[in-house]
Amino acid sequence: MTSDPQKTMIEFQDVHKYYGDYHALRGITATIRAGEFFSLLGPSGCGKTTLLRTIAGFEGISSGVVMIDGKSMAQVPANQRPTNMVFQSYAIFPHLTVEQNVGFGLRKDARPPADKARAVAEALEMVGLRGFGARAAHALSGGQRQRVALARALILKPKVLLLDEPLSALDKKMREQMQMELIKLQRQVGITFILVTHDQEEALVMSDRIAVMFDGEIAQLADPETLYRRPNSRKVADFIGTMNFLPARIVSESGDKVEVDAMGFGHVTLDSAQITGAAGEGGSVVGFRPETLTILFDGQTATDRESLAVVDEVVYYGDMTYYDIRLDGTDKPMRLSMRNVFGRPVLDIGTRTRVAWSPGALVMFR
Amino acid sequence: MQGGWFRGYAFLYLAFLYAPIVLLPIFAFNDATVIAFPLSGFTTKWFAKLWVEPALHDALKNSLIIALCTSVFATALGVFAARASTRYVFPAKAGIMGMIMLPLVLPEIILAVALLVVLLGLGVPLSIFTVIAGHVLVCTPFAIAILSASFQSLDKSLEEAAYDLGETPLSTFRLIILPLVMPGIISSLLITFTISLDEFIMAFFLAGTETTLPVYIFSQFRFPQAVPVIMALGTILVLLSIALLTFAEYFRRRGIARTGGKDTGGFL
Repeated sequence: MTSDPQKTMIEFQDVHKYYGDYHALRGITATIRAGEFFSLLGPSGCGKTTLLRTIAGFEGISSGVVMIDGKSMAQVPANQRPTNMVFQSYAIFPHLTVEQNVGFGLRKDARPPADKARAVAEALEMVGLRGFGARAAHALSGGQRQRVALARALILKPKVLLLDEPLSALDKKMREQMQMELIKLQRQVGITFILVTHDQEEALVMSDRIAVMFDGEIAQLADPETLYRRPNSRKVADFIGTMNFLPARIVSESGDKVEVDAMGFGHVTLDSAQITGAAGEGGSVVGFRPETLTILFDGQTATDRESLAVVDEVVYYGDMTYYDIRLDGTDKPMRLSMRNVFGRPVLDIGTRTRVAWSPGALVMFR
Repeated sequence: MQGGWFRGYAFLYLAFLYAPIVLLPIFAFNDATVIAFPLSGFTTKWFAKLWVEPALHDALKNSLIIALCTSVFATALGVFAARASTRYVFPAKAGIMGMIMLPLVLPEIILAVALLVVLLGLGVPLSIFTVIAGHVLVCTPFAIAILSASFQSLDKSLEEAAYDLGETPLSTFRLIILPLVMPGIISSLLITFTISLDEFIMAFFLAGTETTLPVYIFSQFRFPQAVPVIMALGTILVLLSIALLTFAEYFRRRGIARTGGKDTGGFL
């Protein structure tokens, strides 16, 4: 972690990319800091992979500037950029051994062979593949290929490591394990990691900051917590986790206090910071996450506000139970999640219950 | 018993395909000039006669030169076409590829006659070079078909990865692409060699005063006493063809195994 955390590693200035008539990147302006774990998150076709490939140099840009470490990359071809990539398919050279794969980038290195061999061994050690050097690459499992691809990219000590959906081909258990390993690895080497993913959970778990992309534009760029708690549009809120929405309207505004009338919640006073962004089609709404509503069992009282509701649907997950409830005065089921505590019953469908909530957990899209 | 019918059908079908070929070695070793049963005794004299036939040796030499040149040219052209068709997007690609593959289904005699007319019109003397030209035309589609499969199974990100790791497009081709498609190239060389070796029509029309092996064989059938010799020659050619095609298939499969891909068919 030698790099200054405030130093800019990558800068996009109004980057546009056209494929014929198709406008794939629509004016991307953003900076990525040195040493951060940055994610490009969005649905398929949003331009996140294209943006990653403009950093690598595999994709030219139609207009704008891409800078790496203060240098414009306009005239720098992919094989001379200080970046290395881990491909979605891993792109392990099947006719070479693990060792030859990892050491591939060292071919033009002037160091004596013994030093190169040591570098390869260290890289394999780092990704937990010690002793695998002599194996044929095509005989490896998915997780092992992934590690070889990582070692091969990191051995050149790039300024930026680009990861194109590297975990999408792994099963759930393996994926979660690799997520933790990647985080640790990034802290250890201190290199800027840029991850492309369509998996919002993966992005939240791994990243220092995330750029959420839709239709070739960055919709919101923020740290995971801000993104989750204060999404700046209904679209982002919908994409990241689950969010419930209820129609609402602003009654009055004074200073940084906003009076809102929300269906099911009645009159609430919100902080102006909670009014976060555009609602898009369907008009103004308040949104809240499933875990911000709590079912009140016998004898429990709300610390803030309380409403009545009917249980519409129950989904039992072992550690969690998900309820669909209808607040009195509404006809739309809202998702609510409760951590299961020993001795507490799971409610039946049709049960009338009290729920606790807090105006502070609401966000409003107007 | 439906299975019985199918088994009978399969047996008849295979007998129809291979029984005539099995007759070749039988009469090649039969001590009689007449090709008929009953057999009259074992001999290897027809094979011995092959050694003292200068016209045959000339034809064989021509055929080998033609087949060698054809396989190299056709495979080289195949590499370019297969690479272009699998990696690049260009206008009218499907149409162009279709035109290139067309000789595969065009009546060869039409091609041969057309080529002959053009060559005579241009005043090009007929020789083994004109035969090579004709054979390249016929063999290139086969080479493209074989090589396309090799290039198709090549993951594009392999090239990008090599490039990303500091290689140039040229060294990427040498270090990554070439080794991975090499089995396809060998397979293509062997198969186009085999096709050229026993191609008759082109050779018959375009060879001028030269002869190739198939043309020589055809001409010998006018002489009844030469027929058993042809049987002996045929036996050798069949064995040679089987050996070449087996090699070709071996290399194709090894290539697939090496890249960890799935076998999606081939010529054998």
